[in-house]
Amino acid sequence: MAYDFSKASILIVEDNVPILKLMEPVVQTFGFGTIHTARNGKEAFELFCQQNHDIVITDWMMKPMNGISLARMIRNDKSSPNHFVPIILMTGFSHKQRVIEARDSGITDFLIKPFSAANLYQKIERAIEDKRDYIEASDFMGPDRRRKSQINETFEGKDRRTNPQ
Amino acid sequence: MNNGNPPFTPKSDTPITSAVGAKFYKPPNTLKQKVGSGGLANEILERAQSLIEKNEIDFNPMAEHYLDMLRRNIDNAYNPSEQMTNEQVMTSFIAPIMQLKANGGMFHYPLISRISQHMILFLENIEEPNEDLLEILQAYYTTIRAILVSKIKNDGGQHGDELFQALASACKRYSEKYL
Repeated sequence: MAYDFSKASILIVEDNVPILKLMEPVVQTFGFGTIHTARNGKEAFELFCQQNHDIVITDWMMKPMNGISLARMIRNDKSSPNHFVPIILMTGFSHKQRVIEARDSGITDFLIKPFSAANLYQKIERAIEDKRDYIEASDFMGPDRRRKSQINETFEGKDRRTNPQ
Repeated sequence: MNNGNPPFTPKSDTPITSAVGAKFYKPPNTLKQKVGSGGLANEILERAQSLIEKNEIDFNPMAEHYLDMLRRNIDNAYNPSEQMTNEQVMTSFIAPIMQLKANGGMFHYPLISRISQHMILFLENIEEPNEDLLEILQAYYTTIRAILVSKIKNDGGQHGDELFQALASACKRYSEKYL
């Protein structure tokens, strides 16, 4: 048995046309049945509201709306059809501070450029198998930023989030 | 058409509310429901990787665009405007270098990605530009141009290593002097 992507839809958001041209056939090879593309966050959000894709892969640096703002709109805007859709952010940045900034926008995962087909697939696979809760707080909406392994390894106190008593 | 997914928002679920006011949701994973289990065959991944490796997209026009941007931003830094903060000046250097790093490796220039990655990590630690820094940026600019003009694809072998080491040494000397 293997993944069957034929019924799944993906939205790729990238202002760099050569990268889009490269990614489309790659996800087609994975077997995605529906592939849509957008050139910036604004265009992407409109498309997402119409199509309600199963996964969104977006670049960070775009105008007039970047990938971080797109993630925030998908997670928080009332017109978003799915606040919990997996969002993978592509970027050339790997510095810790940039990673934290992106993570706090509610993205599901990071894809560092340049990437291989295996890197891209690993991120999609991780989104498919992701069992994290989603958290809605005053300043954050997105997947639990603590990975399960981190919670078990480093935190020994009472979990006030999931156990109010 | 909406790919068969009904709208799903937090308001349609019953969350657990914690003592600190955060709400927890366990939303259905529609992607998982659609694709099932079992992963992808290696053969599919190899075919996908081959599409990336055999792409014939010309990286030069894209690289020239970001190099021109960097060139302008270096020139502007030699004649600083009062309107730009140090953070904005540093960002104006990092942004085009990040693009060169991100895209070089996708279009057969992994040496450009390697050198640019080193520059980004170096620049991320600097708060205020000075003339020595601008000289290093000039050297970076010249190096990337040389790689493009000479069409040094892949890792560039020993010559690629020498180019990388020359710039890395300059960054190291700067760090020892100023950081």
